[in-house]
Amino acid sequence: MPGLLSVLIFFPALGGLALLLLRGEDHVWIRRLALTVSVVEFAFSLLLIPRVPAGVAGYSLVENYRWITDPPIHYHLGVDGISLFLVILTTFLTPISVLASWNSIEHRVKEFFVTLSMLEVGVVGVFLSLDLFLFFLFWEVMLIPMAFLIGIWGHERRIYAAIKFVLYTMAGSILMLVGIIWLYNVTGTFDLPAIQQALQNRPELLGSSVELIRRNELLLFLAFFFAFAIKVPLFPLHTWLPDAHVEAPTAGSVILAGVLLKMGTYGMIRFCLPLFPHASRDAAPYVAVFAIIGIIYGALVSLVQPNLKKLVAYSSVSHLGFVVLGIFAFHNISMQGAVYQMLAHGISTGALFLLVGMLYDRRHTFEISQYGGLATPLPRLAAFFLFIALASMGLPMLNGFVGEFLILLGTFHVHANWASWAALGVILSACYLLWAYQRVFFGEVTVEENRTLTDVSPREKWILMTMAVVTLWMGLGSTFFTRRIAASCQNVLDQMGSQQAQEALAPAKSAPPKGTVVIGTLKEISLERPGTR
Amino acid sequence: MIPRPEDLIRVLPETIWCVFGVLMMLLQPFTRNRHVLSFFAILGTVLGTTATLFASSAVGMGSAFGGLIQMDAFAVFFHLLVGGVAILVVLAAGPYLEREGLESAEFYALVLFATAGMGVLASAQELLTAFIGLEMSSISSYVLAGYRRESLKASESAMKYFLLGSFATAFFLYGIALVYGVTGTTNLALMGAADSSSNLLKLGFALILIGLGFKVAAAPFQVWTPDVYEGAPTPVTALFSAGPKAAAFALLLRIFATVPAATHFWFWAFWILAALTMFVGNLGALVQTNVKRLLAYSSIAHAGYILVAFAAVTYLAGNSDTGAAPAYAAVLFYLLSYALVKLGAFTIVSQLGGAGEKHLSLDDYAGLGRRQPVVAAALSLYLLSLLGLPVTAGFFGKFYVFKAAVNSHLIWLAVLMAVNSIIGAYYYFRLIVVMYMREPSMESGPAPAVVGFPLTVNVVLAVTALGTVYFGLFPNQVLSFVLQSNLLGH
Amino acid sequence: MPILDNLWIIPLLPLLGSAVNGLFGSKWPKKIVDGVAVGSTGLSFLCALEAVREFFQLSPEQIPWVKQYFSWIAAGNFRAGFDLQIDQLTVVMVLVVTGVGWLIHIYSMGYMAHEGGYYRFFSYLNLFMFFMLILVLAANYVLLFVGWEGVGLCSYLLIGFYFLKKSAADAGKKAFIVNRIGDFGFMLGMFLLFRTFGTLDFLPLFAKAAPMQPDAMGQFGTLTVASLLLFMGATGKSAQLPLYVWLPDAMEGPTPVSALIHAATMVTAGVYVVARSHVLFTHAPTAMLVVAIVGCATAFFAATIGLVQTDIKRVLAYSTVSQLGYMFLACGVGAFSAGIFHLMTHAFFKALLFLAAGSVIHAMGGEQDMRHMGGLSSKIRKTYATMLAATLAIAGFPPLAGFFSKDSILLGAFQSENGGHILYAVGLLTALLTSFYMFRVIFLTFHGKERYDEHHVHVHESPNSMLVPLMILALLSVVGGWLAAPGLWGGTDYFTRFLGPVFGSAEAAGGESAARALELPLAGVAFFTALVGFSIAFWLYLKKPGKPEELAKSFKGAYTTLLNKYYVDELYAAVVVKPLLWISRDVLWQAVDVKVIDGAVNGIATGTTDIGDNVRHTQSGNTRSYAVWVVIGAIVIITIIFWPYLKPAAVGMVR
Repeated sequence: MPGLLSVLIFFPALGGLALLLLRGEDHVWIRRLALTVSVVEFAFSLLLIPRVPAGVAGYSLVENYRWITDPPIHYHLGVDGISLFLVILTTFLTPISVLASWNSIEHRVKEFFVTLSMLEVGVVGVFLSLDLFLFFLFWEVMLIPMAFLIGIWGHERRIYAAIKFVLYTMAGSILMLVGIIWLYNVTGTFDLPAIQQALQNRPELLGSSVELIRRNELLLFLAFFFAFAIKVPLFPLHTWLPDAHVEAPTAGSVILAGVLLKMGTYGMIRFCLPLFPHASRDAAPYVAVFAIIGIIYGALVSLVQPNLKKLVAYSSVSHLGFVVLGIFAFHNISMQGAVYQMLAHGISTGALFLLVGMLYDRRHTFEISQYGGLATPLPRLAAFFLFIALASMGLPMLNGFVGEFLILLGTFHVHANWASWAALGVILSACYLLWAYQRVFFGEVTVEENRTLTDVSPREKWILMTMAVVTLWMGLGSTFFTRRIAASCQNVLDQMGSQQAQEALAPAKSAPPKGTVVIGTLKEISLERPGTR
Repeated sequence: MIPRPEDLIRVLPETIWCVFGVLMMLLQPFTRNRHVLSFFAILGTVLGTTATLFASSAVGMGSAFGGLIQMDAFAVFFHLLVGGVAILVVLAAGPYLEREGLESAEFYALVLFATAGMGVLASAQELLTAFIGLEMSSISSYVLAGYRRESLKASESAMKYFLLGSFATAFFLYGIALVYGVTGTTNLALMGAADSSSNLLKLGFALILIGLGFKVAAAPFQVWTPDVYEGAPTPVTALFSAGPKAAAFALLLRIFATVPAATHFWFWAFWILAALTMFVGNLGALVQTNVKRLLAYSSIAHAGYILVAFAAVTYLAGNSDTGAAPAYAAVLFYLLSYALVKLGAFTIVSQLGGAGEKHLSLDDYAGLGRRQPVVAAALSLYLLSLLGLPVTAGFFGKFYVFKAAVNSHLIWLAVLMAVNSIIGAYYYFRLIVVMYMREPSMESGPAPAVVGFPLTVNVVLAVTALGTVYFGLFPNQVLSFVLQSNLLGH
Repeated sequence: MPILDNLWIIPLLPLLGSAVNGLFGSKWPKKIVDGVAVGSTGLSFLCALEAVREFFQLSPEQIPWVKQYFSWIAAGNFRAGFDLQIDQLTVVMVLVVTGVGWLIHIYSMGYMAHEGGYYRFFSYLNLFMFFMLILVLAANYVLLFVGWEGVGLCSYLLIGFYFLKKSAADAGKKAFIVNRIGDFGFMLGMFLLFRTFGTLDFLPLFAKAAPMQPDAMGQFGTLTVASLLLFMGATGKSAQLPLYVWLPDAMEGPTPVSALIHAATMVTAGVYVVARSHVLFTHAPTAMLVVAIVGCATAFFAATIGLVQTDIKRVLAYSTVSQLGYMFLACGVGAFSAGIFHLMTHAFFKALLFLAAGSVIHAMGGEQDMRHMGGLSSKIRKTYATMLAATLAIAGFPPLAGFFSKDSILLGAFQSENGGHILYAVGLLTALLTSFYMFRVIFLTFHGKERYDEHHVHVHESPNSMLVPLMILALLSVVGGWLAAPGLWGGTDYFTRFLGPVFGSAEAAGGESAARALELPLAGVAFFTALVGFSIAFWLYLKKPGKPEELAKSFKGAYTTLLNKYYVDELYAAVVVKPLLWISRDVLWQAVDVKVIDGAVNGIATGTTDIGDNVRHTQSGNTRSYAVWVVIGAIVIITIIFWPYLKPAAVGMVR
């Protein structure tokens, strides 16, 4: 089915245009149209699954047209196991967000849904582009709609948050642009596979001497990595996230947490590792340290948040730390876990933000102190919240567990000490989620106006049901995903490995350190590790 | 000597512009009907601009008047650019003049003369001719700057512009004199042979650089810009920011292209100028609350970006690198995208300014997104283009400049540019924020009313906006044009 | 083999029950909810019985019987399947879980009859059954971990069942988090095992581990580290030192929950895991020693606290912790089957104790403090009888269940080469304490004069739905031990023999003849200690009722320390919880996040703006100053261009 990817990218744009034609006051039809468009888009994205063969590494449904002659910029799209589910995640969360904003958005409704669909265009484009220039283009395009979502339909400090979000992201992406152009200058192309080939076969492109090659590769790596690290966000570049999340409307938070953050980790897998294998290896220990700090730090900080939404936001810092760790352990299992965790986090944290949004719709506050004992007036909401919270704290048979488990399992294989530290996050996630849950839902109703709150409406119930079902399904049927993810992850690692293997000037240090158990003081034990994959 | 016919054809655009300029003067006593005058003005500009195409197709490229004038792709590009600018300015100016109750005939005449001057500047192959072009455009600009007689700001800006302008022109003239003294010619083509070791020559080119640096508002010669841009009638500001700047850059480029001697020692000068200009422009704009002034600073910043490309050019030329063509292309494309955006932006500003240009502060723009969604959208588009976001011409402009810089291994300059674009992002985005995310504050009087946009203005906006998006999606034609090998005739 | 081929039926039935009740129960009358809940568990009990019947028809080489249903997680060379396995050990566990579980379901119908959220309770309880069965049937560590975490979840839900009570919610949270701390170790253990053996399925893993060279005592080889990590998980789940703190608080839950989860089944999961992983542990003597010591210490420590508690359920809770310690002691000294045996008998009598206590509380209208009871024996005879039986059993009076199981543990301890006698001594002392505090409960509750006023509390016997389970359990507590009656009691140790195939290798130690020689004296001693404990209690609480207070006064320090459980909770709060919160809030969030990082970000922004402000001020508007700027610029440019010439001069000037 040629052109499917283009359809996926531009169908929402068409939908947006169609929305523009509607009368601004005609909220009902605007909502219906927006929902239809997003649902149809989702249906389209499902068509991808049978067309992306499991167990095959390369890109499918490739579209490649010359767009700009000089410099040669191609409209080059393709999907593989890694991007496949991220796209579907996007197209899945969009209708959910539309439904979530059904009543909570009253003013400038048309603009809202147009913005939302534009956002979808950008995000899907990012995941499907195989041309660095095109990628960057979508990367930037996505920025403005998100900023608008935060800035127009957000809460009190929305403008500050929006500007902060834009500048933070810009700071990263502009560096990436320089990096992209640099790559173009040495390779003469923006085409991802082509660049990969070029750097692989002719490392001398980057410099005359080994040191020079290394230096430049590292610089390039950093140029890309910073852009991604800011998006993820990796500690200590995360401070835009709490503000953006707290101020954004529910739909914004859902997309932000569900998809946008994944763009960073996706970029790391897609660009940093295959393009700059040695730099990645050299940087891995430092990245891992920051990731682990992020895991523990994010968890501890969210433990003490008085603001429920901020709490969830910081928990994302913690969860994404796992993903980054899984990626930079360079182990097949951990990387599959990382990709899986991206999806799982998208669903569970997305659902958490939905629930928080529903609480906000009822009480117009995020302050935990304003809640308490809500399980009595809102039994169903409480049940859903608990379910999702359990998923996000990684309870087996729910989606959170698989990702975390695989990440830690794979990481432990290579760096026992990394995994050991990161596993602390498993304890802490239980702490902050259960504590928050208790303060919000358990005990007697403390605030009078909470007594009269109404439980979930049918619409909300359907939203939450869907999320819950997906959560459970992902927790049980993880192989459905991993089967399709595996080959692509392996491919990324092969590209790194093979490069390093065939390259004469690979220094010994870039070999992954021998696995040693380091738990507390038991440093001396070292055991030969079965092959990395 | 009798000029050959093709010589005359090659200066046809300038001729037409001048003729119509005179015609406007003559018409004034007979009709006060603005529509008639506007019609003729538009006719003149359009004819002149199309004449460029005709000339280039009819007699092809080549020099005229014994090498005073060079008609080549480069010149054609700039003729079209300044001509187009003139058309749009005239279109936009009509309603403005009516609103402000200003004479339109002289105005149009001056615009036409200025345009002619820029045309000459763009195709001059000889320094004195260039000087004449420069003066033609400058003098008309001085007058235009003070066109709002009764407005103090305007007269002040005119005065400043005039004083400093002539000050800079003096540098330029001395420069020519010195160069002539050394090389014995003012013809760039012949100058090519001159040896680059002579100090006097260096000094001469330094002075020329200073003179032109003033015209393009490169720091520290930018000092006049904010005041003049703010004081001048907004359509004139639009003209300034697009036309003369482009023409001056054109001359600079031509000097490099033809006189290797010049390029050898200008590299660091451009490096410093670029860095300074970017920072001065962006940092200055950061704290502005007057939109017009903000845009003035932003145009300084953009001159800085263009100078980055110049640094790249000089670097390549300096190291006798043949790959300079993309850098030229970068400059030309940037100027095009930039002219489109600035015209559009200033046109909107002049419309929203209202009678006497009172509503220029950020607060006046609060809630514009609600009040006048289309206008707000257009302005946002221009701002995003200035900010350099994709699917706008500005993005490619910035992209090519970056590319040129990285190409010449000016990584640090590129990084400085990156830093500046982030600073820029802040104030551009802040204006968008104000338009969409802030409601008009009550204490600043009653909420501003919806401002009507007459047809001609809408035409301008449509052209600029569509152009911005179009070149943001398909820069191919322009690029292939500005990348052609015989861009500068030889 | 209808059931063995479809083992999944056994856990699935309760799951269905849970789902049905959870989704629709709210609208249904109690009867239907009862039917679904009790029915599903009953059915799964029957299935278990049938499975066992079929199991006995299997030929030895078919055991363990493993069924692979579907791949749950698969990545790279890692596969975690939804695979169930049944061997002798599983048989014991499944029967205990389903059997006792079913009885407790029946009991709950009566006990919870007047509670709100009836359907919720049974939904949780069935869910618990599901996870517990997964835990014991799992054929690999990951699936076991599913059950492991699942039971933790249900425990959280059921402890917090009365979520309006803050104490209940706190207790639930505490239980879950403390368990998570253990799970941290458990997970690392799994990772290490996978890295070492490349699989987490029991059969291949143990097959690979068995031939490995055991670590020397004191050497921290892979197996030792792995075993210790698994044991860390066990200490969390089975409430051993230092992670036992959650279990006493868990008594906030309804009494049937305490009986099922916090006495009979869930808390023994840790013991099960250790027994299941005996291959690893036997290769890691250090780990074994640690297990034994921790178990022994916990047994004694908890028993001492149990001496002075006044809340009937808390006494039982600490007694549970203590008895679990026994089981670990058994495992630690290599007497795995003894440990499992005690697990089983303990399931009977401790469940019975809790249910009986529940019946007492029911009778007293919710009163749990023994100081306000007394003399109930005449009023609720049936309850009294059953509880007495349980007490005799746990106190270790022959020929009741507890006697045999405890006896074999102590025997094992006595025989173990490293420090066996110390372990034995402590174990014996603990036995004494056990018998003392249990009879203390009996006497305080059922004997002496009534210490409650009849006007408010009118004591009444519980309904049959509650009494029948009591009686069945009482019967089991009496005869249950005979399964393993050692030789000299004219029985043959069926139990150990039955488990032989599982622990065979492990149990080779402990020579038969030596055992025979020892059994009689040790049994005698054990019986004697039980008697001593009994008589002290008798003397203190029946003969001289004033005495305890006097003792409490004279040994004030010791008494209050015990009463406050050695202040361990306070210690944890001071050393762990408070600092953690402080660091998180005041250091990480307020200082690092807000001040440092965000401060830097905003600082850059404001700094840039300030610079911009200065730049603007150069724009004085004064033409002359502008001209000056132009000149300066001119000088700058000329300098730059002539720099090659000026440079030497400039350098010269500097010099």
